[in-house]
Amino acid sequence: MAVVERPPVIGPGHDFETVSKAISEIVLTRKTPLGWVFGFLMAFTFMMIFLMTATYLFLKGVGIWGINIPVAWGFAIVNFVWWIGIGHAGTLISAILLLLHQKWRMSISRFAEAMTLFAVACAGMFPLLHMGRPWLFYWMFPYPNTMTVWPQFRSPLVWDVFAVSTYATVSLVFWYVGLIPDVATLRDRAKSPFARKAFGILSLGWRGSARHWFRYETASLLLAGLATPLVVSVHTVVSFDFAVAIVPGWHTTIFPPYFVAGAIYSGFAMVLTLAIPLRAAYRLEDFVTMWHLDVMAKVMLTTGLILAYGYGCEVFYAWYSADTFERYMMWNRMFGPYAVAYWALIATNIVIPQLLWFKKVRTNVPLLFFVSLVVNTGMWLERYVIVITSLHRDFLVSSWGRYAPTVWDWATFTGTIGLFLTLFFLFIRFLPMISIVEMRTLLPQAGVKGKEAH
Amino acid sequence: MPTEYSVPSDVQQITRRALPIGVVLLAACAVGGYFNPDQFFHSYLLAYIFVLNITLGCLALVMVQHLSGGNWGVMTRRLLEAGSRTIPLMAVLFIPVALGIHSLYVWSHPDVVASDINVREKAAYLNQTAFIVRAVVYFICWWAVAHFLNKWSLEQDRTGDPAVGRKLQRLSGGGLVLYGITMTFAVTDWLMSLQPHWYSTIFGMIFMAGQGLSGFSFVIAALWWLAKREPLKSLLSSRQLIDLGNLMLAFVILWTYTSFSQFLLIWVGNLPEEIVFYLPRFRHGWQAVGILLVLFHFAVPFLLLLHRSIKGKLARIGALAIALVAFRWLDIYWLVAPAEHVNLHLSWMDIAAPLALGGIWLATWARTLQGRPLLPLRDPQLAQALQYGHHASH
Repeated sequence: MAVVERPPVIGPGHDFETVSKAISEIVLTRKTPLGWVFGFLMAFTFMMIFLMTATYLFLKGVGIWGINIPVAWGFAIVNFVWWIGIGHAGTLISAILLLLHQKWRMSISRFAEAMTLFAVACAGMFPLLHMGRPWLFYWMFPYPNTMTVWPQFRSPLVWDVFAVSTYATVSLVFWYVGLIPDVATLRDRAKSPFARKAFGILSLGWRGSARHWFRYETASLLLAGLATPLVVSVHTVVSFDFAVAIVPGWHTTIFPPYFVAGAIYSGFAMVLTLAIPLRAAYRLEDFVTMWHLDVMAKVMLTTGLILAYGYGCEVFYAWYSADTFERYMMWNRMFGPYAVAYWALIATNIVIPQLLWFKKVRTNVPLLFFVSLVVNTGMWLERYVIVITSLHRDFLVSSWGRYAPTVWDWATFTGTIGLFLTLFFLFIRFLPMISIVEMRTLLPQAGVKGKEAH
Repeated sequence: MPTEYSVPSDVQQITRRALPIGVVLLAACAVGGYFNPDQFFHSYLLAYIFVLNITLGCLALVMVQHLSGGNWGVMTRRLLEAGSRTIPLMAVLFIPVALGIHSLYVWSHPDVVASDINVREKAAYLNQTAFIVRAVVYFICWWAVAHFLNKWSLEQDRTGDPAVGRKLQRLSGGGLVLYGITMTFAVTDWLMSLQPHWYSTIFGMIFMAGQGLSGFSFVIAALWWLAKREPLKSLLSSRQLIDLGNLMLAFVILWTYTSFSQFLLIWVGNLPEEIVFYLPRFRHGWQAVGILLVLFHFAVPFLLLLHRSIKGKLARIGALAIALVAFRWLDIYWLVAPAEHVNLHLSWMDIAAPLALGGIWLATWARTLQGRPLLPLRDPQLAQALQYGHHASH
């Protein structure tokens, strides 16, 4: 009886040297590719827009945004949730899949973790900016002070402060610990004295001794264990931000799992959006294989279906509740002034991704790239629909209103995309975007007994 | 020619012992029902949902293992498939629930519909005809999916054609979507509508998590019995048990996560249509059942299942699995019984009826299991699964 062979997670014909060379050369080359320069400049321009809008915001206050009563929470929370959701795929890939011994995670985990960090950084901008006086951000922490200011611990917004800051810290430490042996490889391979010095400092004196490896492995496992609950808890708390309020459209019990599924969905879409151009530009098809793309597409399909289930439950139980406000909220979403956003959301998040049922689509790289962009858009629309349609018409007809984002809203949002891409371009230029160490372990030579080892 | 892996012959003993117990207890409940029909129908609903959870848990897990692959699936597939083949029995056993609509569901009373605007608003969904028609549709869907899963699985045994495996995967993908939708509506009909004002969008998901747990607990308990006998005695390794234990742990966590989300959001919102679920369950003694659930449906199994020394030993994980089956019963008891009784109340039928249906179901399951080899003979992952855990290092 034949044993099924899993498709290889690394292209054929590689050995330790070629793997190290292929990945480290991207960093150590003296010639910066023109494409990188162009992309970086584009991203940097958008980041400048972000800095400009932030400056103007500090001068004028949040009145420059479209928010008002009744829609007091607009783009800031939409974008915060969108970015923080994107981060989740990185943590899932690096923590949960590590504990599940999924080897395919290895080639995508590094840049997915970097994506997490940068996405969390972008997400963090919005609550800070929305504060109006961001230099007083530390008032959110419970510290002894003479103003008798104390956070309201019953509010999930306070839980968010802890959830997100823990998430950012653990993600950063996890990512950095994983980088240490690779940075040491770069230190050893670097030609320029400056690079040697810089990577030398970053590698924290790594010499690759057995004891170093032992501690490295232990630390990785412990951090993976710490990060695993964060995959679920962070977005659960984010969903509580809405669901503890009794606003129709926000207060629904399915929000926690539905938000977590949505976060992973958008995160995998973003990993594909980044991975597909990267593997083409840097010829990394041997490391990020078709099989990787196929598996990621399947994860997207699954989480997308959970999300569709959530949408369906919202619609059915809004009717089943027989509650005037619940029923009106759903009708207003579908046929009210923001109906276009709702149906665009259904099309982008539910209908188009059903293409992923077909293997032909999952292995068609341009089409998969298109679907990943569609899902990124859809997940943004989801938060827009949830936030705006629920707030603009709630219980009292006399206090209904409309919301429209201003040019400053759009500039802040696109500005954070610039911030994200700027950080990402710097990352791929100065650090190994795929883990050299882990890729080496995938080689047949890494098993001491070769193919006989289990 | 592949090895036979036939089911141990003394599996008949299970049928011979369980069937009479089930039939006698069911007869006793019928007598009890003559004197107290309301209590009978509530106890019967409890029993029915308890057994249905195992059946549909098996059905869902067959599909999950076709899609996810993995050694655990190969080792448990035939046990799960036998569970899914009991769906016709479950359809027959549904008849008393349908007969008991008036005892169970207040929305079936015309005077309630006339006086209660909330119930009247839902009458298009909550009415007797629609209730029966939907139940028929659910059973047709479940049976159809189970039928083809089993048929093609046997075909794979005979031919070993890889195309059959792909066919099974495609069916499982669509089947799980169908299962998710039908199960959500079924649980709305059968349990949520016991309190017709109440609704919760996560309820279907809590229930599916519970079914997954029921399925895994049952299968691990069954393995305990089977692995004392050949052929599984020499095939089942402790690493396979640890994998199964981890999956059971995952479902314990999933059930807790979804249940806690529902509780926190309804408690904090404190809205009249929602809090009606928790108010009766938080007083008059029912809170004790809730605390038992927190302790034994979550905390204790969670802590125990973290330990490899428990997951890897057949007797330990088997005993824990049986305990979890029992606490699945407690969970459904907590859903059903407070809808009828204001004060904490445990009828003898709440225990007898689940044992009755459980006995009949177990007898049928054991009989069904005998029809086929204990392992999928030509599953492409079989060889790998049999090696798994029997070699030293990894």
